[in-house]
Amino acid sequence: MSEQNLAIVTVPQQEWSTLYKEEDALNIGTIFPALNKPFFAGEAVMDTKSPVAKEQSGHEDILQKMQQLGFFLVDLGLYLATHETEQQAIALYHEKAQEYATLRRTFAKEQYPLTCLCVPYCTEKAELEFCLMEGPIPWEGAWV
Amino acid sequence: MWVYEKRLEYPVKITKTCPKTAQLIITQYGGPDGELSASLRYLSQRYTMPVKAVGGLLTDIGTEELAHMEIICAMVYQLTKNLSIEQAKEAGFDAYYVDHTTALWPQAAANLPFTALEFQSKGDAITDLTEDLAAEQKARTVYDNLLRMIDDPEIREPLKFLRSREIVHFQRFGEALEKTKSQLDSKNFYYFNPEFDKEMYQKQP
Repeated sequence: MSEQNLAIVTVPQQEWSTLYKEEDALNIGTIFPALNKPFFAGEAVMDTKSPVAKEQSGHEDILQKMQQLGFFLVDLGLYLATHETEQQAIALYHEKAQEYATLRRTFAKEQYPLTCLCVPYCTEKAELEFCLMEGPIPWEGAWV
Repeated sequence: MWVYEKRLEYPVKITKTCPKTAQLIITQYGGPDGELSASLRYLSQRYTMPVKAVGGLLTDIGTEELAHMEIICAMVYQLTKNLSIEQAKEAGFDAYYVDHTTALWPQAAANLPFTALEFQSKGDAITDLTEDLAAEQKARTVYDNLLRMIDDPEIREPLKFLRSREIVHFQRFGEALEKTKSQLDSKNFYYFNPEFDKEMYQKQP
């Protein structure tokens, strides 16, 4: 692929390499070190805990973990859209997706369902009050 | 079909009201290089893409842009949450306030309303993917410009995250263009339109 031709854009195919850990990737904005290209006025955020992403309670903790894992899957998913036969990426996607599904189920059971697909995992009290209405509105942020 | 997940892709926790910053950031909601424009561009272009994987990528990135739109909207919302009339007047946010109070409405930083005229869905895979590459660069420049002007880490962190995504999306669109090129004759990529001249284009899985 990526053969150079005149009068058309050429972008080299990214090659598989070591990834950032999911705890770091969300703060960096990618799981791929090769695509981490910070702006000097935005300074590198490598190995820093985002000041806005710190946990406050147990339930924030699981939510943060899901945010990190969810993002890992988004970025890996885009990679797989253009590298559909990359074996290590496929195996890793399956592993992380499994982990995410488990967390989502636990969160629905212990806190509230994040999507309508999680409603079946809610506890008995869910029969009295529609559980999909529970939990904070995501855009409220620190104002909750 | 979409399923809403009740969380932001990247957390937004802004604790200080600042209508001036809201007025700048809102451009990434409804401005020419904003997330809404990006999402609609990709989700419109995908139907006629000749390579199936490219249609899939446009769906995935178009979907992620919706999540980015939500991040930007959450930022604007939180920056104007406890707005006083004095603050609105001082920051020059009073005109927006008169029209929309503190509700979200897609517009550019310079008060221009959101418009589909800012993007294209041209029906030619090479043309559209080249536009998508440029779109990601334009959005990155907007985030660069915002990062030069804004000091508050509560606001900078989500902006830095969104900026990083533009670079990743650029790479993926580049790979999508390579995929499309690999189905065409490199002696002349422009001999026919792979989205329209179907009898000349051998559809690949």
